[in-house]
Amino acid sequence: MSETLAPEKEATVTVAVMNQLSTAKDVRAESPLHHAELDKLASRNPRAGGVSLRELKLLGHLTLRGSQQNQSFMNGCAEVLGVALPTLPLTSVEKGSVSIRWVSPDEWLVVLPADQAFEVERGLRAAIEGHYQVVNVSGGQTILELSGPNARDVLKKSTVLDVHPSQFPVGKVAGSVFAKSTALVRRSGEDTWELVVRRSFADYIWLWLQDASREYGLVIKH
Amino acid sequence: MSQKNRLQSGGRIDRSKALTFTYNGRQYKGYQGDTIASALLANGVDIVARSFKYSRPRGIVAAGAEEPNAVLQVGATEATQVPNVRATQQELYDGLVCGATNGWPSVESDMMGLMGKVGGNMMPPGFYYKTFMYPQSMWKTYEKFIRMAAGLGRAPKEVDQDEYDAVNQHCDLMVVGAGPAGLMAALTAARSGARVIIADEQSEFGGHLLSSRERIGGKSAADWVADIVEELASYPDVLMLPRSTVNGYHDHNFLTINENRSDYKGDKAPADQVRQRMHRVRAHWVVLATGAHERPLVYGYNDVPGCMIASAVSTYINRYGVVPGNKLVLMTTNDSAYQTALDWADAGREVVAVVDTRAKAEGDLVEAVRKRGIKVITGSAVIEVSGKKRVSGVTVAAIDAKGDKVVGGAQHMSCDTVASSGGWSPVVHLSCHTGSRPVWREDIFGFVPGPTVQKQLIAGGINGTYALEKVLAEGVEAGREAATRLGLTAADVQLPNVRSLSEGKAMELYHIPHTKPTSRAPKQFVDYQNDVTAAAIELATREGFEAIEHVKRYTAMGFGTDQGKLGNINGMAITAKSVGQTIPETGTTVFRPNYTPIAFGAIAGRNCKELFEPKRFSAMHKWHEENGALYEDVGQWKRPWYFPKAGETMQQSLDRECKAVRESVGILDASTLGKIDIQGKDAREFLARVYTNAWAKLGVGKCRYGLMCKEDGMVFDDGVTSCLGENHFLMTTTTGGAAGVLEWLELYHQTEWPELEVYFTSVTDHWATMTISGPNSRKLLAELTDIDLSNDTFKFMDWREGSVAGVPARVFRISFTGELSFEVNVQANYGLHVWEKLFEHGAKYNLTPYGTETMHILRAEKGFIIAGQDTDGSVTPHDLGMSWCVADSKPFSYIGKRGMMRSDCVRKDRKQMVGLKTKDPKVVLPEGAQAVADPKQPIPMDLLGHVSSSYWSANLNRSIALGFVKGGLERMGETVYYPLADGRVIEAEICSPIFLDPKGERQNV
Repeated sequence: MSETLAPEKEATVTVAVMNQLSTAKDVRAESPLHHAELDKLASRNPRAGGVSLRELKLLGHLTLRGSQQNQSFMNGCAEVLGVALPTLPLTSVEKGSVSIRWVSPDEWLVVLPADQAFEVERGLRAAIEGHYQVVNVSGGQTILELSGPNARDVLKKSTVLDVHPSQFPVGKVAGSVFAKSTALVRRSGEDTWELVVRRSFADYIWLWLQDASREYGLVIKH
Repeated sequence: MSQKNRLQSGGRIDRSKALTFTYNGRQYKGYQGDTIASALLANGVDIVARSFKYSRPRGIVAAGAEEPNAVLQVGATEATQVPNVRATQQELYDGLVCGATNGWPSVESDMMGLMGKVGGNMMPPGFYYKTFMYPQSMWKTYEKFIRMAAGLGRAPKEVDQDEYDAVNQHCDLMVVGAGPAGLMAALTAARSGARVIIADEQSEFGGHLLSSRERIGGKSAADWVADIVEELASYPDVLMLPRSTVNGYHDHNFLTINENRSDYKGDKAPADQVRQRMHRVRAHWVVLATGAHERPLVYGYNDVPGCMIASAVSTYINRYGVVPGNKLVLMTTNDSAYQTALDWADAGREVVAVVDTRAKAEGDLVEAVRKRGIKVITGSAVIEVSGKKRVSGVTVAAIDAKGDKVVGGAQHMSCDTVASSGGWSPVVHLSCHTGSRPVWREDIFGFVPGPTVQKQLIAGGINGTYALEKVLAEGVEAGREAATRLGLTAADVQLPNVRSLSEGKAMELYHIPHTKPTSRAPKQFVDYQNDVTAAAIELATREGFEAIEHVKRYTAMGFGTDQGKLGNINGMAITAKSVGQTIPETGTTVFRPNYTPIAFGAIAGRNCKELFEPKRFSAMHKWHEENGALYEDVGQWKRPWYFPKAGETMQQSLDRECKAVRESVGILDASTLGKIDIQGKDAREFLARVYTNAWAKLGVGKCRYGLMCKEDGMVFDDGVTSCLGENHFLMTTTTGGAAGVLEWLELYHQTEWPELEVYFTSVTDHWATMTISGPNSRKLLAELTDIDLSNDTFKFMDWREGSVAGVPARVFRISFTGELSFEVNVQANYGLHVWEKLFEHGAKYNLTPYGTETMHILRAEKGFIIAGQDTDGSVTPHDLGMSWCVADSKPFSYIGKRGMMRSDCVRKDRKQMVGLKTKDPKVVLPEGAQAVADPKQPIPMDLLGHVSSSYWSANLNRSIALGFVKGGLERMGETVYYPLADGRVIEAEICSPIFLDPKGERQNV
């Protein structure tokens, strides 16, 4: 088999970085819950209910892997993202339109506007030396925001995490089993929670949340 | 019908809210606050069941979870049927429909009763083992008969429409039981600042105080309870769960509670409301304050309706305003039961006598009874009851000081109710669930929880502490200890003043002697639900079943839905005496979850119907739905199986799809394939160690197929991995193997080769993948992309980046069909857009969607394996004829190398994968069929290997198959035979597994 490289590839390419966002006019992007038509539901929803749900859709999601001992990695991330990676387990930071969730001692999830994902990835690669990984996972997951006085009750039906305020302060983040799928749960406000869920499981979790919140009344928000 | 046993006043029922209910097809009245049991007793209903073995009429015995007889079927409609409902725990609501479960044709006149009277003696313990087991083939016949005769309710035949769910709870302290001890423990912990959950099975908190006329701190018991409950409710971190039975206590202080949220108020839950909720509690500390059950005494015909435990009689009077009879004889071994005589007398009905088994009776309550002029007969016992469907009298006789034998002449007394008390059995069930064995306390004649590894405290009745002032003190102490152990400052709680009673010593007695030996005496029931008598237990021990676990299994004692709550201790005592041992020497049986029966729905929660199992969908799923796809479940994914057109059979669809791919172009949604992004300077080295083949020279822009083995050298997954950059690879896995492969990579990286600089991240969901395959695939794709698709610059097994339908894409020129193929990957949010664009442009090429079944046929035509179908964990790459995919010369070893070199793996006669052509091309071999060399040999035949994949190939106009044959790679052209279960024998020739385009020209055009 020929080992000749394709002309448009340079022999020095170490990592393939690609702007995955389309700028073409007639191209349609669909979030994982596109088919649920949440917009329509929002417009004909009852206005009252104990739980509200909205999809924070089509955002940029970057998975970062790297060692906290790698100063270049930590500094590069802080510089490019405008805020240092949270190193305290189960915490998150937020600055402007960027939020960073601690996932494990060597993994973080950066959520940012979709059109910044490519530039940020390039910036990180330019700034960091040594061993690390940046992966654009924007198409593979979405964020569901639960809010309202009964949001906590719905979470208690869905996850074994202790979501009591004393154990789950605002800003805390934890990944766990969610119903029979998984979610990265973050408390983003007093009564507001964000679930990062995988695309292929999004429909299941949407069905689950509708079912689990029925007794409180579910309000779909735009 | 009038409630003839209802008192004019008193109790915790609401006489302004009359309720109507139906029992055994007849209407009765009750009040809000009643249980079914209290309402039936109020209406003078004596018989609620026929017994399991003897079909004897049975009445209500108890007032709580320990009730063995009043186990009813509840439900107004077929879909709302609930079996095994204890009438003593089911609250009454208007319109409730219930019935006895085991009378046929009715409990009042039972056909089986005839058999009971005659046949009863023919059914000794072990009867089923001894009789119905032989011949075994007849068991099904026997079983039908036995079920009709016995049975304890039935499952509904229609789907339960109600909603159930589960909630996860966390707390510092879980208090089980809201009687005086539990309330005090919860209050103390709450005041200390702990997160507390307190649960109780009853509709209200208070435990036995709800039936008590005691005064606490100068208030009625009920008012005292109400004050505590009010204070508990004021703490935001205290969760109070009434109507919630703690049914299981599991390791690590995990408890399961079944909360009844609507069963108490209706046949069906209100719209959008949950009927029952399972609380899954993780508690730092647990206080068990489960109280005690009163033990009945075992005496002749003690099962005739009207025989009850003493405390239950008091409960019906004090809590429900129901006196379950007119003339009471009370038999007791202790002082506490004297309260029942006082309660009965205060209700204005006659206490015929108190029969005390002790020679002397002299406590405060005894004196109070004597002062009321009630006859107290000491040193005596009720040895036998008369009456058939209701007690009509008792025979009382003097017994010796040990209670071993009757020593005096018998006298008859007429009465309609016999209340008995043999003392109290602490409710140790939950502590047993975690493996702790109870220990016997001589001073209280009862088992209490033994040593435990759980963070568990006990207080009150469960600890054998029955005097109210001591119970309250123990509750406070448990609450303080829990608070201290939790690192909190334990609050001080003042103990209220309560009446202090002097009590005479209780007598240890379980089994009342009769003038006749036990075997000849009238039946003395120990376990009502399973009709186990004292004589049966003695017989079991005589037959050699001396260990308590053997006695239990031989007699079925404690096997009912009540788990022997009333009878077990008596049974153990009789066993002990019969074999000449003490009770601690004999030991006790223990309990498992659940404490009381619960509905399947409560266990399933909302994990049923649509939510039973997650369904995973690709970004193009909506299109598949709209285009009539049928689905194959691959793991949790719903993958299109094939796309039938109107009127097509499955085979016709497959033939059409297969031909379209080979003749023009088809498209497959391959998004479900596992995809792992691998980055790091050692990524290439890592790949070389986990795949069997070589990766050192794969250039950027190139793709390569790889096989993965486990350590034993057996193939477990395969796929194409592409070099995106020197330090960057994209691995694909099988759909079902994706998660397992990622875990496998992490396992080896974290435990074996942490020095390799490499990271793995799943991108399965991130990329939507569509495979365009067929001779026209290039023409079609060219209309939508800026990538140069010419064969000179974009070769087979290359990948390119570019735009497809306006979307940034990576296109891989790889093929699983053997045709010219392009696998287009775009960020999944664009998946459907690109898919639809391909169809817009594909119509002129007859672009045909195909599913997994067509994919399977097309790849089989090319002899490509499917890991998991053509491999089963016993197949090496060499067995697959894929030695070309094994590179033993790699500088570092790879996983599976040594395994493949084991002597067994290099045998020449291993089963090897080959192609199979049936002699008759129209005949398709069944998958799983076994090859033999000589179909005429006697059974068991010498089997050579099985068919792993087999299809009709429309492209080849014949059947094709892949299969395993011993030494098959050396047997090309030979004939093997497949004898089938239906007698046919299919003849097939061993051939190359590549049926079509053996030189691989079609994919290289």
